[in-house]
Amino acid sequence: MTCDDTRRRLTAYLDGDLDADGGTLVRVHLRGCAACRQVATEEAELRDELRALPVLDPPPALWAGVQARLAAAEEAAARRPWWRRALARWTPALPRFAAGGLVAAAAVTALWWRTHRAGEPGIGPGTGPGTGPEPVLEVIVHPTPEIKASPGPAPVARPASCEIPEAADATADLALDDARRSGCYAATAAALVAELEAPRAEWTADQRAAFDDQHAALRQAVAAAREGRPRHRAWRAVVRYLQGALARDEVVALASGGAP
Amino acid sequence: MAAALADDAQLIAACRRGEARAMEMLYHQYKRRVFGMAHRIVGASDSEEVAQEVFVRVFRGLAAFRGDSALSTWIYRLTVNAALSHLARRGRRHEVGDDDLTELPAPPATERDSALASRIEAALGRLPAGYRAILVLHDVEGLSHEECAAILDCRVGTCKSQLHKARARMRELLGDSLGDRGARAPRGTET
Repeated sequence: MTCDDTRRRLTAYLDGDLDADGGTLVRVHLRGCAACRQVATEEAELRDELRALPVLDPPPALWAGVQARLAAAEEAAARRPWWRRALARWTPALPRFAAGGLVAAAAVTALWWRTHRAGEPGIGPGTGPGTGPEPVLEVIVHPTPEIKASPGPAPVARPASCEIPEAADATADLALDDARRSGCYAATAAALVAELEAPRAEWTADQRAAFDDQHAALRQAVAAAREGRPRHRAWRAVVRYLQGALARDEVVALASGGAP
Repeated sequence: MAAALADDAQLIAACRRGEARAMEMLYHQYKRRVFGMAHRIVGASDSEEVAQEVFVRVFRGLAAFRGDSALSTWIYRLTVNAALSHLARRGRRHEVGDDDLTELPAPPATERDSALASRIEAALGRLPAGYRAILVLHDVEGLSHEECAAILDCRVGTCKSQLHKARARMRELLGDSLGDRGARAPRGTET
């Protein structure tokens, strides 16, 4: 063992913190090395002297000073408004409450986001990126009063125009998301209009005129809406209206005993 | 140990209820160590102020004391923190002037004497605050490495290594005051 090794272990050796083998190695080195023995003697003496330093008695006025400061602090606390006192009482626990609050807020946000996003066509659970395209687009049903008994419209096949190619990188792909969704709504609306062609022929002129007016108004709302959520909302109104018209026709067909 | 914890718990409960006798008992139980640590870390002039601050923090903080550590460990931690914060606020390391050290009479080469103790106190005041804290806790107050680590909020290994360095620095500061001067080997001849 070298002198450096020994000196690194001296503090632990003198304090009895070395195991038996380590202690023996240091002891053997100290027997043969006067310089290290000198250092060990000095350190032992220093340690003993430090331990022998006198206990210091505090001045008698210390307790009176503590009591005076406690009384002053108590009076100051009593003068504070009740809400500050309550805040001071809860302050030590704030970090724990804050941690719990953060977790709860994160959970609520995640739940809200998931629920909100799940309410939009094609964005619900299982339709996110990487899950692959759905073979059939489930149509959202918002029945008008006269079609409450509707069995629901038949699923409409996902139009090919919904499949807007993905961008090369994730950032660009996210930027395309709004356009992709608007395109999907437009394609769904077009498919519904095509479905309505046959029943439309059975409508009266007044019914056709009312339908066309309402359809045009909704399309104008789409054109006027800002890109993003407002436009998606306008598109959903169009799709709901077309679904309602289609469903109403099916109900009429069912009521008259014919095939929908 | 269990009895001590039970005693501490009773004392804490009584202090929380605001019982003056219990508060005084707690003060007397810890006053010497708190004052001694404060005195040796911040120096004589500010020690009373720091000790007062520690006891005020103790009594005002007892309501929030959760018992994660022993009461003594918590109080010593408050003491060391208050002392080190005080030093930081003061903006300079407390130093006992070199005059204090050099004007002390050279100790005789025989038994331990009060002059050596004075020189040690003076040298302690010249150490960096962190070294001073570990020396006071471990060597002066006789606390274990585990207790020191809990008080200083560091690992036991760090505590040991800091103590080793602190003692080495103290030996440098004390120079020839330590050891058997008659048998001293010349420095720098080590292998």
